[in-house]
Amino acid sequence: MLQWFYMLGSPKLFYTMTGRYMSWLVWLTVIFLGSGLVWGLAFTPPDYQMGENYRIAYIHVPMAILAMGCYALMASFSAGYLIWKIKIADMIAKACAPIGASITAVALATGSLWGIPTWGTWWIWDARLTSTLIMLFLYVGIIALRSAFDSVDSGAKACAVLSLVGVVNLPIIKYSVEWWNTLHQGASSLSLSDTAANPPEVWIPAFFVGFGILGFFLIALILRTRNEILLRERRSQWVLEMVSSTVIDETRHA
Amino acid sequence: MPDFQFQSLAEFFAMGGHALYVWSSYGVFALMIVFNIVQPILANRKIFQQLKARLAREENMAATAAVTIAAVTIKGGE
Repeated sequence: MLQWFYMLGSPKLFYTMTGRYMSWLVWLTVIFLGSGLVWGLAFTPPDYQMGENYRIAYIHVPMAILAMGCYALMASFSAGYLIWKIKIADMIAKACAPIGASITAVALATGSLWGIPTWGTWWIWDARLTSTLIMLFLYVGIIALRSAFDSVDSGAKACAVLSLVGVVNLPIIKYSVEWWNTLHQGASSLSLSDTAANPPEVWIPAFFVGFGILGFFLIALILRTRNEILLRERRSQWVLEMVSSTVIDETRHA
Repeated sequence: MPDFQFQSLAEFFAMGGHALYVWSSYGVFALMIVFNIVQPILANRKIFQQLKARLAREENMAATAAVTIAAVTIKGGE
């Protein structure tokens, strides 16, 4: 059991395993994301109040959920790094920050674009929007904090602590629509009934998009973590052997 | 099988008058995806090139050192 735990924490093993399964992940992502987006954009009926504008929700909702999920993941790996000193946990946490920041930015931007015709405003200081904006600042702050350190270990520790402190924001985002009277609507319930406000023909494609976006997130996370492994392990034998045996040409990454 | 919900492709692109909001949302989303995939791939290429260059430099230095040592040894043996 302990050995398995150590193996999982080995940067070399992470590098080889993710390299082996990357193409599968890319195919699954393309299939789910492509079919889900086409389905949501063109093959689901328009909303009786919002018309075609609600199609923004097919990306806004998964982006907002993933923005929080990414934060929770980053904080978990930060805790793993602080407690067990697993190096790869910090590398994954580091990779989470820029992806999470860009996802949060897209969640806010698509929300604004949706809000202009629906709410009549692109921004309002309501609890859900404000707490999500704070999450964006947390992501940006974590990226900036790491770059302020010359020592990798000091930066990693500081970022891990800040990530964990920021977790307090997650329940605030999640329950903001219940605790306060917000302009932002609450979570929609999923119903199997055809006459419900949110029938299966509307939310099933949303799950396709959701799985596709999850796949994209894993790909982006793995790519960044692999780069981080290469940089930190650049003196180790296996990296040097791999580099010397690789012929650099333009088609290698295609 | 779900049906195509628009009368024509033109109507599809018009999005019932919400074209600006819907398509800019999907555009921002697409940009974010491309950025998060392309940026690490370019970074990876750069890392490989740098490591390769460093390896070549070190091999070169090792070879020079070997030649120097050999020269000195030969000279000492005379």
